[in-house]
Amino acid sequence: MTGKEVTVVTYRGIFQEVEEALGMYSDGYRDQSALIDLDGSDAKALGVETGKPVLLENGSGKVVVVAKVSEDPHPGVAFMPASPWSAQLLSGEVGGGGLLELKRFRANVSFAEGAVTSIEEIRERIGAD
Amino acid sequence: MAFCTGCSLLCDDIEVDFDGAKVKRTMNLCRKGRAHYDSLRVDRLAPAVDGSAASIDEAISKAGELLAGAEKLLLFGWGNSTLAAQQAGIGLAKKLGSVIDDPSSYSQGLITEKILAGDLPSCTFDDVRNFADVSIFWGDDPSSSHPRHLSRFSYFPRGEKRQRGYEEDREAIVIDVRKSPTAQIAADGFFKIPPGGDAEFAEALMATLGGKIPKVEDKKRMLNLGTKLRKAKFGVIFTGLGLAHSMGGDLDAFFSLVGKLNELSRFSVIPTLGDYNTRGFNQNLFDETGSVNSVSFADGVAHGPEFGIAKYLDSCDAVMVVGADPVAALPAPLTKLLSGIPMVAVNSHRTLTTDAAKVTIPIGVAGLEVGGSALRTDGVKVDFDAVVKSDYLPDVEVIERIMEAV
Repeated sequence: MTGKEVTVVTYRGIFQEVEEALGMYSDGYRDQSALIDLDGSDAKALGVETGKPVLLENGSGKVVVVAKVSEDPHPGVAFMPASPWSAQLLSGEVGGGGLLELKRFRANVSFAEGAVTSIEEIRERIGAD
Repeated sequence: MAFCTGCSLLCDDIEVDFDGAKVKRTMNLCRKGRAHYDSLRVDRLAPAVDGSAASIDEAISKAGELLAGAEKLLLFGWGNSTLAAQQAGIGLAKKLGSVIDDPSSYSQGLITEKILAGDLPSCTFDDVRNFADVSIFWGDDPSSSHPRHLSRFSYFPRGEKRQRGYEEDREAIVIDVRKSPTAQIAADGFFKIPPGGDAEFAEALMATLGGKIPKVEDKKRMLNLGTKLRKAKFGVIFTGLGLAHSMGGDLDAFFSLVGKLNELSRFSVIPTLGDYNTRGFNQNLFDETGSVNSVSFADGVAHGPEFGIAKYLDSCDAVMVVGADPVAALPAPLTKLLSGIPMVAVNSHRTLTTDAAKVTIPIGVAGLEVGGSALRTDGVKVDFDAVVKSDYLPDVEVIERIMEAV
């Protein structure tokens, strides 16, 4: 597996919240959810620019999302909206304090040529169709 | 005035004119609230059984059949339900001897339970606006999740003892891993921590307040923060998912810090909860059982992590999800499990969870299409009426009809 391993922390963004209210099967919701904010130096090392697709992969699953290069530095750490896309990479394990791990995971980021994973594909994968 | 049930602030100063179901003009709605109102015309759920269109009566009857036939039933969701529907849901769980849980079992339930038990000081948003001189946002970005939080209550407004508002009378401190929109507002009050670094930050602050030199890189800044908090007249800590998850659910370091702050000054905690009536469900269940989530009525009342959705999915044989979308939010291994269990979904809109359900039952959007009551995230009760005509049933009526059907 080539690329770079990063710690991904999820968050909720206002534009994603808006698009979710307007329908999670919309292009707008995908555009605001299938995203990862990468540190500038990490993105440079990967040869990735804002707007380019990247593959996120770990032992739990994989998705293709769009990269966004951050203005502020945060090497080794990436941020991603909490969504069905980020949920594909969560293990389902419970932390030491008894809380289900939902906000943080490790994943390998690499350049991708394929299209961004669609919500229909995610729905099929988890058997929700 | 209308209400907005788009988040747990339950803004009560909304002006809105409709043209049919279409929003024509609004005043005071935030961007998220406007989308909540506009959603009335988007992706509405229809009654269905096994993927085929059904009447509402058929769907309710089938739901009753499915729930009555279950041996280990989970009733989950409830954060986007009215207080009356939540109470009916708890009644249904008691009647069926089932497990009932909400998303607080994997978010801020521990903090809310401590507040309801009187073990963690809290206050109302009115207290915050009138008296708070320090607002701490910890793992919390309300500028994104609850867009009017800072303008109505926690930072910008003038209040009884805070006549000069944020300009001179109030300070914002943000502790977060990311320079969020709230952190950008706090500017110099932003403390960036590494992922998982919340407990260490709490311990360093605790040491500072105890007169010790903190073991952090920027000692001077931490000492200055300690001085600021020690001098605060009334501080409030708003907690987000980031805090609870960073500590993996072990919040002892945070609770000790709040205790220490209250030895030196006065500090309250208000959790920033996501769904509009999460606080209401937690209060309702706490009043009934002494716990805010993860309760089984199978043999009297039992509470524990084994009755939270994360664990109980392993053994349950039917699920009813009300006003929530766990299939979109939970880790993929759990959503695969959930999608394979016979499920009834009660919701106003189509979601990944309703797509996975065997039976779907639509309801009206509370506060917009149907009336009801809810608790704001600070625990204040609000009553709201419908503001637009609708044929959708109120959630409480659907739950009561399911109760009759079983």
